[in-house]
Order: sequence, then C-alpha cells, then structure tokens
Amino acid sequence: MKKLIQFKNIIKEFDGNLVLKGIDLDIYENEFVTLLGPSGCGKTTLLRILGGFLEQTKGEIIFDGQEISKVPAYKREVNTVFQKYALFPHMNVYDNIAFGLKIKKQSKDVIEQKVNRMLSLIGLEGYGKRNVTLLSGGQQQRVAIARALVNEPSVLLLDEPLGALDKALRKEMQYELKRIQQEVGITFIFVTHDQEEALTMSDKIVVMKDGRIMQIGTPADIYNEPANEYVARFIGESNIIEGEMREDYKVFFDDRVYDCVDFGFKKNEPVDIMVRPEDLEIVERGKGTISGEVKSILFKGVHNEIIVQTVSGASKTVTMHVLQNHDLTNEEAGEKISANDFYMDLEDVANLSDAEVIARANAQAWDTDDELVSLSKVEYEVKEEPGVYPVTFKTSAGTAITVKITVLEPKFIEDQRKGVGITAFDFYKTADELKESIALDTDLCIWAKAEAWDLEDGSPIEIEDIIYDFDEETITEGDFPITFATKGREFKVHTTKSSEVGKKVDILFSPQDIHVMSKMGNL
Amino acid sequence: MKTFSKLVWPYMAWITVFIVAPMLLILLYAFTKEGNSVLTLQFTLNNFTRFFSDSIFPSVMARSLKIALMTTLLCILFGYPAAYCISKLNDKQQALAILLVTLPMWINMLIRTYAWRGILSYFDFDSEIKVLIGMVYNFIPFMILQIHTSLSKMDQSLIAAAEDLGANKTQTFMRVIFPLSIPGVIAGITLVFLPAVSSFFIPKLLGGGDYVLIGNLIENYFVSTGDWNFGSAISLIMAVLIIFSMFLTKRIDHQIGEEKE
Repeated sequence: MKKLIQFKNIIKEFDGNLVLKGIDLDIYENEFVTLLGPSGCGKTTLLRILGGFLEQTKGEIIFDGQEISKVPAYKREVNTVFQKYALFPHMNVYDNIAFGLKIKKQSKDVIEQKVNRMLSLIGLEGYGKRNVTLLSGGQQQRVAIARALVNEPSVLLLDEPLGALDKALRKEMQYELKRIQQEVGITFIFVTHDQEEALTMSDKIVVMKDGRIMQIGTPADIYNEPANEYVARFIGESNIIEGEMREDYKVFFDDRVYDCVDFGFKKNEPVDIMVRPEDLEIVERGKGTISGEVKSILFKGVHNEIIVQTVSGASKTVTMHVLQNHDLTNEEAGEKISANDFYMDLEDVANLSDAEVIARANAQAWDTDDELVSLSKVEYEVKEEPGVYPVTFKTSAGTAITVKITVLEPKFIEDQRKGVGITAFDFYKTADELKESIALDTDLCIWAKAEAWDLEDGSPIEIEDIIYDFDEETITEGDFPITFATKGREFKVHTTKSSEVGKKVDILFSPQDIHVMSKMGNL
Repeated sequence: MKTFSKLVWPYMAWITVFIVAPMLLILLYAFTKEGNSVLTLQFTLNNFTRFFSDSIFPSVMARSLKIALMTTLLCILFGYPAAYCISKLNDKQQALAILLVTLPMWINMLIRTYAWRGILSYFDFDSEIKVLIGMVYNFIPFMILQIHTSLSKMDQSLIAAAEDLGANKTQTFMRVIFPLSIPGVIAGITLVFLPAVSSFFIPKLLGGGDYVLIGNLIENYFVSTGDWNFGSAISLIMAVLIIFSMFLTKRIDHQIGEEKE
C-alpha cells in the first residue's frame, strides 16, 4: 500500500493553548482510519487541518507527495461529511449531491448519471426531488455521504457523523459506512469518541489524548496490547493494577510475583498491569490464581459482572452508642430540648465554634407546636487536652440541657503497605435519629467523621465499605460496632456463570492474560 | 395560559380606538360627500373619479412608488454589503457595529432630516436626489438589521461545506449565502418600502415646495385644504396599493420557499 497522507510534527495553538502537541501520522491508500479520543483531544482539529478549514501553527502535511498547507479548502482533493451533515436547506436531495459537480461545471447528463449512481449507492433511489429538511437523520446522513463521495475524492473525512443518530441506526450506519468504503475503495478518516464504532469499522485506530497520539494500531492490537493505562481504560473494560517488573516474564503485584509473557522492561521498573475482565474466570477456592471474596454481581445482559475483592482495604472500627430519646421538657416555657454527648479530636479543639458544637451535639429545641426554637446560648469550656467537658445549650426562655464532650487524642490507622491512612470516632445517636436518616451510609461517615487519605500525598481516598450489623428501623439502645474501610484490590470479572455475594472463591487466569504496560509518565 | 389571556383586552381596546376606528372613518369619509353631518350621509364615488380623472394625482402616486422603489433598491445595494461585513466580525465587534447602525435612531427622525437639509443646502442637487438621500439615510438601518439577522444566524458549517465541495468564495456566496439570506432581504424590503412610499416630511423638508409625493398630498388635503373626504380617498387608494405590494413580496418569498421542494 502507498502512503497517501503524512502528518509531520503538526502543532496547533489556539490563544496560547496547545491543542495539537506534535502529531506524526501516516495514512495509506484505501485505509479506514479512525481518530479516537474524548472531546477536546484534538481529533477534530486534526481533521479540520486536513480539510483546509484550519491552518496548523507548525508542521507539514504531505498529500500524495505534495505539501498542501497553503492549498485552500476548495482546492483540496478531500471531502468532508460534517457532524450535523450541513446539507443545503434551500436545495433538494438531487441538487445537494450535484453541488460539487455543478461547481466543477460538468455537463448536465454526466451530473445526472453520477448523482443517480450515488443515490443507488446510498439506497435512496427516487429521493432526488425530496426536501432535505424533511428527511430522517439517517437519510440526511446518507445524502451528506453521497454529496461528498460524488466528487470522487481520494480521502473522505467524517467528523463524528453518527453522533446524532440513535443507537440502532448508528449500528446500521456502521455497517453501511464500512460497505461503502469497501465498495468505493478510498481512504476514510473517521473521527469519533465511541470506542465501539472505532473497533467495528477501522483498519487502523489512532488513539488520542490531550493533543498527542497515545497509540496507533489495528483494533485487535489496541484492544489486546494497549500501550498504556489510558488506552486500556478508554478501549473496553479493564482491571488495572500498579506493579513492578522484576525481570523478563516476571511481574510483581499485591505481594506476589506472577508469570507473564511480557519482556524488555528495566529491572524493577514500575509498571501498570492490565487484565481484561473477560479473561478472568471464577473458580472454587484452591483452584485458581488469586483468592478473594465476591463483593457484588451485576447483570449486564450477555454476561454478569462480578466484583471479587482479593485484598481488603484499610479499615477502622468504631462504636456507635445508641441512646434512648432524652428530650428535656420545660413545662413553664412549653419547650423541649435535646442534645447528644459527642467525641472530638484534640486537633479540632482550637477551631471549635458555637455552630460546630451545636451541629456535633445535634442540639435542638422546639415548642409545643413542634416549631424549632433557636438556641440563644451555648456554654462550654474545653481545654486543649484529652478529657471530658460539659456543654450547656439554652433557649431564651431558659430551657437548658447539658451534655458531655469527650476530647480524644487523634487515632489514625496507617496502613503502610497499602499506603492508606484512615480515621473515625465513636459517637452517640438516638434511635430516632437513626430512623430519620435517609442516606444512612453517608450519615454514618459524617457522624463518625470517618476519613481516609493517601499516605504519600495526603489526597482523600473514598471510603467504600461501611460494615455494620443492625437494622436502623428496629434498633434499640446499646453499643454497635461499625467498620469503615477503603477499597481494597478488586477484580472485575465478566462471565456467563453466576456466583453469590460473600462467597469465597478463586480467580483463575494464565500468564497470557496479563498485559504489562509502561507507566504513562507526564503525558 | 388562560389567566393571562385577559391581558389581551387592553391591547384590543387600544387597537379598536386607535387603529380600527380611524380606518373605518377613512373608509366612511372616502365614500361620502364633503360637508356631510353624520345624520345626512351622502355616499358617492366622486372622490375616486376625481383622483383618476386629473392626471396630476396618478403621476404623484407613480412618483411616490418610483422613489420608494429606488430607496428600497439602494438600501439593498448599500445595506447588504454592510450587513455582510458586520456578520464577519467577532461577537463584540458585531454588537458595536449594530449599535452604531442603530445609534442615529436615538435622535428624532425630524431633527435628523433637518440636519440633512442643512448639509444638502451646500450642494446643487435635484430635489429628487435630495429626497432619495434622506430616505436611504433614514431607512437603511432597517434593511441592515434584517439582513444581518439572517446572515448571522446562518449555519457556518454550510459555508464550510460549500468550500469543501470545491466552491470558491464567490461561488459560495452566490450559491449558498445569498439564497439563504433572501428571507432577510424580503423582510428588509417590507420595512423600507412601506414607510418610504408614504413618507411626507422627508420630501417636504428636503425636496422644497415643488417636490410633492403622495404623503404630502394626503397631508395637504387634511391639514391645509380641510377636504377630509378626498384625503381619505387618496389614503385608501394608497392602502390598497400597499396591501397589493405586500401580497406580491409574500408571493415571491413563497416561491423561493417552494423552489427547494
């Protein structure tokens, strides 16, 4: 095959922003090439530069052996199918398709012959006289393709042409486009953010991110051998694990060395490891590669998605003291008041405010009509050392309640091996407050002030699991343990088999199922 | 919606008192004899026969139509390029340009026309030319605004598509931009032609006493001569002409619309 287009170090700058950061790409004759990436990755910009609607800041485009940067759009041998088709609303289907030929002043009978041939290629024979604005999305799409193809370009550019169609029609048009491309035998350059479209139609996929090319390859290459974590995540579903390459064919992660088929890395080089969910199998305990526990099962139609946890996360267990309702009634004023004891971190004492104390004690007062009454006075004296201190809340009518603040040394759990710190505090709640909660897990985290963070950079880490053994609807007074835990190592498994949540299982995979990738660095 | 529908009544009352009733009165006056009281109405067609039997009245009417047509044509000729250039600017510049176009309208039209009388007194122009200048000056903003609206809301990808299909700038303009802006031009024609054909103070101020248009004629019969019946008849003839011309432009607009079917 012959090289048709060469992009050489294309750089594009918009108002000081680098949209393309040096694109080198060769495109061959009769290829179906897809530029794939999320919005803002520069794929459409690259297409528009090739179409002649934008000029690159730097770099060369060689088209069929000639530099074409200065050639205006209307003289280039490429035609474009625009995102929203851009059909001329003041012309019928026939005139839209004939537009380019009329511009080239071809004779009437030649135009008629070519347009009719196009109409049958796109399956719209007899639609010539129709008003384009009255066609369906799919039909407009076909007319746009015909309008471009009738000019017999050597390259057809398609800018997210299927984006406006519904899912079923999009599928149909994918096959249609591939068929048309094979029939007319010219190069198609197709821009999309849809990985499925890219995998279905392309001979070659160019994965882009932030103005750079991440990987160029066939759909199979890109899927099976993604160059880095970004490509692996963008195309298909994947489990990605940080690890270390011990030596050729030996990769280390989660405390163990595994055999793999990858080589050529430096000794002990940090790497990303990818395993596709469909390559994993769930087997009985003792018969697989890694042991774990089934966390969840999701029905996805063709398969089940089973999450298996193989390493548990960092966790901290606290006690929730459930109290009886303890409203105090002030008969004279016709008011009631309530507040809870609470625990707090020594570090927080310095910044304690009235509002904070009211919130933490959940202090409230209300009158006989159940209208809330404001607390006019909050009296407390808390020293910056561990101990128990009284706090009194009062309304202006003199209704008062006193509760205890217990100040504690901060207690962190730092899991060095996982690189995670986690903390949480014991707390007091009444049974009613538990019943009133509409998002109990979130409330428990707030009440216990449960937090987790990355030991390296201090960034917050989500608390994934909140484990407790009570039913908030029927709970009575007493002490209850609650465990807060971060996400451990979880594997996503796609299988047609089923399992049960909580079952102890093994995951089975072979060395070929592991794919080792270089770290992305600062890309 | 129903609760708001009552809000239409003040407007209906307004229309009835200030538009419908005067129109009916004009109709009544046009077909009755001078000096009638409401009790002794005498219907007649004399006012109309008078208009068409004296060659001076139809010729004034023809002159009015001619000057209105010329005004409209010049407004398109100068307004279209202006609107086109404005639509090529960036958003901020466009807002400024539109502001500049509409800025003179903040000043009373009469005052502006007086100013033109001062300016034009230095030149030895024909009355007709002076009136034409005043008309084009006064009415061109309406044309520019209409055309600019239709150009600026045009889908830019259509222009890119035309270029992509091999059309150079001229071809793109002729085959895509201009045809798609015709509705704006037609709206502009309506807004310029109607006030131009009935304008009376521009010819009065700029044309001198000898340049009479139909609007001056009507004013004369109502204000100076006091012949309201004949004045009403002229107004009615003009109203019919205007309705007919609007019908014509509508037809043209429609035909262009149908061509794409």
